[in-house]
Amino acid sequence: MKMHVDAAYRSLNKYGEELCGDKVKIIRAPDSTIAVLADGLGSGVKANILSTLTSTIVSTMLNEGASIAEVVETIAKTLPVCSVRKLAYSTFSVLQIFDDGTAHLVEFDNPPCIFVRNGKVVDLESRSELKEYGGKQISECTFSVRPGDVLALVSDGVIYAGVGQALNFGWNWDNVSSWLAKTSTKENSAPRLAVSLSEAVRELYLDKPGDDSTDLVIRIAPKSVVNMLSGPPVNKEDDNRMVHDFITSYGKKVVCGGTSANIVARVLNRKIETSINYVDPTIPPTGKIEGVDLVTEGVLTLSRTVDILRDYLNKEADSFYFHRLDEENGAAMIAKMLLEECTDLHVFIGKAINPAHQNPGLPSDLSIKMKLIDELCELVKKLGKNVEKVYY
Amino acid sequence: MEITVCIGSSCHLKGSRDVISIFQRLVSMNHLEDKIDLKGSFCMGECTNNGVCVCLDGERFKVTPLETEAFFNREVMKRLEK
Repeated sequence: MKMHVDAAYRSLNKYGEELCGDKVKIIRAPDSTIAVLADGLGSGVKANILSTLTSTIVSTMLNEGASIAEVVETIAKTLPVCSVRKLAYSTFSVLQIFDDGTAHLVEFDNPPCIFVRNGKVVDLESRSELKEYGGKQISECTFSVRPGDVLALVSDGVIYAGVGQALNFGWNWDNVSSWLAKTSTKENSAPRLAVSLSEAVRELYLDKPGDDSTDLVIRIAPKSVVNMLSGPPVNKEDDNRMVHDFITSYGKKVVCGGTSANIVARVLNRKIETSINYVDPTIPPTGKIEGVDLVTEGVLTLSRTVDILRDYLNKEADSFYFHRLDEENGAAMIAKMLLEECTDLHVFIGKAINPAHQNPGLPSDLSIKMKLIDELCELVKKLGKNVEKVYY
Repeated sequence: MEITVCIGSSCHLKGSRDVISIFQRLVSMNHLEDKIDLKGSFCMGECTNNGVCVCLDGERFKVTPLETEAFFNREVMKRLEK
């Protein structure tokens, strides 16, 4: 079975710093996902350069098939030496998860990877081997993962959260991992876990992080397909084929667009029930068709969905963001499904120009629904999910 | 009697939500909850008209939020009295 890796991360900058000294890189290779967390020496610009170089070198070389020995050697030789400390140094952790469920973990001086299965912390340290490459002590470990597992790579800022302030010795690894184990049973998507962890750290630091704190949360998700149908086909004769392809597909089903909903209802000979309950005054209400998980209006809803997903990628999501995501309006419901409950998105796109959109009252960019769908697909791809498009 | 209000994109922008909330208020003010069934519908294909598409027992009208109250008193009440 192909494993899907749901990965999300959050960074807190050291108080007063504009740049973060920790860097996360996630690469989706053809047969595996490579996630790297690097923590550069010091903070600010220097640390940022060190960690960016390290994470980029590690992820690029591993992706091209280099061995870990070569990677470590390259890093040791290329990192610029700090003029104050006479050291070139950045810690790193690499987690490579293959599609068959084999996971390979390589760590250098970072806090150990936290591995949670069924709400319990699993010890990885006893299974790992210590090796020496180019004078550096590296710990390596190979194990297998299965759907539902949660893994977290954290920088030492997380482990020391609150040191000398809220807590005498900081949060410490045992407490972080048991917190994660407990929370993973309540919040089961990587973005939510990453944000909760980051917010907990921020609170322990009383809003003034003493060190760059980054957490990278990885959740192994079972494959879950979302099918989305939008827009009427160019030829009316294709209505049946499009709806048939859509409704017989495996996975969740979403119809976006009033005209599309009417077509689906007509072909399937089922009724649309439309609610008149406006949860959000700017988003038209949703509807129901038997056999379809969600029916929404088209352009207005989709453009809001695009906004919500773009906010997730561009801004630092916080608990308020998830509050917005949990709203019961059509746009948030689609965004939530795509962000948290989807590994593969299949879009069935009808290319006909919709007469409903030839209305001068509609903002001009909204009238191009195709563009909107393309944008949505790009965002979902950036979230690390597979996207397939079929045109009619 | 069934009142169906279009909530498609176009009508939404012309004020479906206001039309619906005015209808809801008028229905409860006149205690007609058991006589009138207020419903929504996706695009009914009347996008090019000015005003929100409203359907009374199969007959279509176009109604702007400003006209809603007058429309209710004129068309809906007339039909109920029959």
